[in-house]
Amino acid sequence: MSTSRRSQEFPHLPLHLILLVYVVVTLYPLLWVFTIGFSGQQNLMIVDIPANATFLDRLRAIMPWPAHLSVSNFTSVFTEQPFARWLLNSAVIAIATTVLGVFLACTSAYAFSRFRFPGRRVGLMSFLVSQMFPGTLMMIPLYIIIVQVLGLGSTYLGLILVYSITAIPFCVWMLKGYFDTIPRELEESALMDGASAAVIFYRIVLPLAKPAVAVTALFSFMTAWNEYIQAATFMDKINMYTAPVGLKFFVGGFEQQWGYFAAGAIVTSIPIVALFLFLQKYLISGLTAGAVKG
Amino acid sequence: MSPGPSRRRRFAAGMVAALILGAALSQWMLARARAQENRFRASRVAVVTVSALAEVAERAGGTGDGLRRAVAAFAGGDSSLVAARVMVLDGVSLEASTAPEDRGEKAAPRRLTQDEKPIYDQAQRLRAAVETNHQEGAARKPEIEVASSASGGLSLAAPLEKDGSVVGLVALETTPLPAAPHPDWLFSGLAVVVAAAVFWLMALATGERRTMLALVACLVLVAVMVVLGRQAFTAVSGDRRATESAVASAVTAEEGRAAKALQEVAPGGGLKPLQPASWDADLFRRPLGVIGADGKVDQAKFEQGLAAGASSTARVIGAIAVVALALLLFVGLGAASRLGATISKHHQAYTYTFPAIFGMLLLVFLPFLYGVVLAFTDSSIYTTQAPLSQVWVGLKNFVDILGDFHIAKSTAAGLVWNYQNLYWTLGVTIVWTVTNVAYGVGMGLFLALILNTKGLVFRPIYRVIFVMPWAMPNYITALIWKGMFHQQFGVINQIIQMFGGTPVAWFERPATSLFACIATNAWLSVPFMMVICLGALQSISADLYEAARVDGATRWQQFRSITLPSLKPALVPAVILSVIWTFNMFNIIYIVSGGDPEHSTEIMITQAYKFAFEQYRYGYAAAYSMVIFAILLAYGVWQNKVTKATEGI
Repeated sequence: MSTSRRSQEFPHLPLHLILLVYVVVTLYPLLWVFTIGFSGQQNLMIVDIPANATFLDRLRAIMPWPAHLSVSNFTSVFTEQPFARWLLNSAVIAIATTVLGVFLACTSAYAFSRFRFPGRRVGLMSFLVSQMFPGTLMMIPLYIIIVQVLGLGSTYLGLILVYSITAIPFCVWMLKGYFDTIPRELEESALMDGASAAVIFYRIVLPLAKPAVAVTALFSFMTAWNEYIQAATFMDKINMYTAPVGLKFFVGGFEQQWGYFAAGAIVTSIPIVALFLFLQKYLISGLTAGAVKG
Repeated sequence: MSPGPSRRRRFAAGMVAALILGAALSQWMLARARAQENRFRASRVAVVTVSALAEVAERAGGTGDGLRRAVAAFAGGDSSLVAARVMVLDGVSLEASTAPEDRGEKAAPRRLTQDEKPIYDQAQRLRAAVETNHQEGAARKPEIEVASSASGGLSLAAPLEKDGSVVGLVALETTPLPAAPHPDWLFSGLAVVVAAAVFWLMALATGERRTMLALVACLVLVAVMVVLGRQAFTAVSGDRRATESAVASAVTAEEGRAAKALQEVAPGGGLKPLQPASWDADLFRRPLGVIGADGKVDQAKFEQGLAAGASSTARVIGAIAVVALALLLFVGLGAASRLGATISKHHQAYTYTFPAIFGMLLLVFLPFLYGVVLAFTDSSIYTTQAPLSQVWVGLKNFVDILGDFHIAKSTAAGLVWNYQNLYWTLGVTIVWTVTNVAYGVGMGLFLALILNTKGLVFRPIYRVIFVMPWAMPNYITALIWKGMFHQQFGVINQIIQMFGGTPVAWFERPATSLFACIATNAWLSVPFMMVICLGALQSISADLYEAARVDGATRWQQFRSITLPSLKPALVPAVILSVIWTFNMFNIIYIVSGGDPEHSTEIMITQAYKFAFEQYRYGYAAAYSMVIFAILLAYGVWQNKVTKATEGI
């Protein structure tokens, strides 16, 4: 029996070969960034190649290993360039966005899940519909409101408000779905014991919803940490750039500082990639749940 | 139905609220308009002065002792001037100054000091503005700069010309502006009290009939608004008249002073005569033409301006009246008390949702509505201050966008594509979306099938590696690939050369440029599909395959009748989501190709962004975004139908 099943399966060796090819495709751009980052220079080329280069010269030039290992890009991006400041801006904005966004989403998702009130359905549906509004259509009025009316251009508050509010619909739907699964009996018995609504919410419901809150927080944080175009539109002072705007700034202009970019990109992505890999199971289930509903 | 509170009283409450709102809003708008007029008057008078001074300085040769005497004589006779300065770009020198701080050691003529660089910059700016306007034959950049001075007056700068070109600037600072007239609270307060009393008397006569009460209330409110509107119009036109006479007398006075100042330069005369008619001008130095050559106000033109002012006053007061009427009916018909009751009944729920809803209203729904309105205007960076009614163009943007079929024109050199055309961009967007999603699904499914092989070693390691592109921030991915596609130094061209090919200039042709973008997006979009497929594959029971094998099904038959159907519930929403994501994938196109060459690889969303933030055509960009929204909406509806239809099978 087992032999017949074995014959039904593909041999594993060619499968591994195919997978290895795709591993190279996947990893090469990442190794390339590491190579440039640790090369100690601003050049796009990994090694200099002679005028009439041979096959081997070219092969060496695409091998993701720097000619000289050096961490100077990492040290000077923090000391000579305002990258530390940009990273700080990103961190402040992302953390504040997470706190504000999760707070707003938790309270309103709880109300949507537990209370029946006029406007509930309209509210939930309008949150869904808002997800379809095209970004550029929103950006012009948002720019006028945030920068010209509220005067919040190049401030933390402006971006924090935009990020946390735009993350609300996703977070509310996600949290509401989770709150719906928490049995009401718990709250009812606490109510019998004389606990107030606020106590029930903070002491009973929120602790039970921890996994969902964590995913919401991660989503808000990643949105804020990775967002590029709104930050580029709203922040026009160099010392208020966020890390994405700063990284684009390194290689966007006339002078192309690929070494700084690579070092900065590595520093910026490592925490977010680690968080993602660590929590991907929850994120994916959240995304697909949202997709099914949407 | 319970009797509830008296309708009469309810209408009275609504009446009072609406009257107070209407009166307060109209007084506030009036006060703003009068303050604006006050500043406008001061700045028009100051423009007359600065133009006269510029002409005096030009006639006096723009330099030398004669100039200094003339400027001193000119400024000395004018009590509204704090300081007058003449600065010449050549040599960066302050030629004349009557400013209190420019005495003794700092007296003119002298070189500008380091901290006076703003004056030099201003002169350069004015020169550039005059040249730009001249070249374009338009009035785009202001040729006279007006700003508030530190002491509360105005500070103005105008170009100093010599033989038709700008050689420096003349600047002056005025004494603080006179205070704007106070709003007339007494009048409007009286109007509110009288109207409320009248309404109450009439309501007593009307009884409790709702329609009658509403009718009476509306009539009284409209009457009050008409009275307030007339008051506002009288005040505004009085201010206008005062402005014109102030400007007219300023022109006469400056003409006298200028003539006297020129006496200092050339006592016997012989200089070109002054042109006082051109002094009353806008900031582009275009004469307004309201003050005639004889120094008198041109009545016909003035009346014309007044009529335009009247219609705009009527519009504003009308809008306020509509708001007040809405409030009146809202309270009077009982909607307010019902709303109040609902809120107090569900106050807990509303407290919990209020912050999020308020934020969404302010930063999502309001911008969306504003964007929709913008789509019907030709609003641009030059008209952000203008009211929407002035830039309203109706459906013109949509007609321009959708009705422009000039996708390509044939010339001697072959077809020349119009890359800014909607249909070209739409085509690119469709190619972009379909290619990416197809590749994502195909490659994702392929990898997932391999990874799902029973007993495959290292599977968790492969999985983590393959998920990496998804975890990377996509703007970083885009920048990396942009570096790798670099024509001279990028590794991709190195690989091509390694095998003897010639390097490709990726971003110089639409096809290769789009290919680079698609390659980038393909790399980062595979993991999502792979993870979705893998999840779905792992949930298929092995018994199904076992049973199929027992029945003698081939591998292909198993795939078609077991694997694919089981994948569908997970794959369909993922594909829908992926289509929308890719359609809106801004970062990749914006960073990798940036639309190069010549906007040919722009997708709709990046094109809309460029219209808005590179060409600053806000209205057009908003209309373009509406088209995107409509396409996505149509896609959503269609997709919904198709999915529903196939679900039945």
